[in-house]
Amino acid sequence: MLLFRSEEHVDKWCSVHTLPKRPLVDLEQLWTLAKEWYSSRLTPEARRPMGAEIRAIFDRLGLTDPFWQS
Amino acid sequence: MDNDALVQQYVYRFTADHGRPPASSAVASALGIDQQEVLAAFRRIHGRRLLVLARTGEITMAPPFSAVPTPFRVEVTDREYFANCVWDSFGIAAALHGDAKIDSSCACCGEPMVLRIFDGQPLPEPAVAHFAVPAAHWWDDITYT
Repeated sequence: MLLFRSEEHVDKWCSVHTLPKRPLVDLEQLWTLAKEWYSSRLTPEARRPMGAEIRAIFDRLGLTDPFWQS
Repeated sequence: MDNDALVQQYVYRFTADHGRPPASSAVASALGIDQQEVLAAFRRIHGRRLLVLARTGEITMAPPFSAVPTPFRVEVTDREYFANCVWDSFGIAAALHGDAKIDSSCACCGEPMVLRIFDGQPLPEPAVAHFAVPAAHWWDDITYT
């Protein structure tokens, strides 16, 4: 997952690399994803979200495009 | 606590304290476990998608932490870490529950960018993140998403 200054820079990067443009993630959404994935990572109970949990997280963030189906 | 849990806990605690994941030999020495058993534990923990391993069996990623320098340098309470991607750069702040300064750059133009997590929130910055690979295929090659 890469960082860009703006959507225009994503467009240019996709064009240069002949890759399809995917749904963008803003910093607030990214922070929520980071917390959901990693806030308990240093604890004995650490585990990665899986399957339905991931879908629920994406749904809560409005990431409903088929791109996000895991 | 079984060996896998001990190894997982040690790896993440060591990484938080030292800025990079430990070698299997260091884990074996610290926990008094045979090194081959540590490597086997690494593989089982990888199976739960909590570690990424090199062909040697050593750790290359203990997500969100990277074992090697990357374009996502993260500073939390005066300690330096490297993240595997922009998501993981925020993930280090989330895992350590601290304020963070992230030094990176725009993947398109290369211009330096600084992101900050302060008091549990990202500070506003003109920035977006972009995946090249759909979510269902992230773990086909987790080094390229």
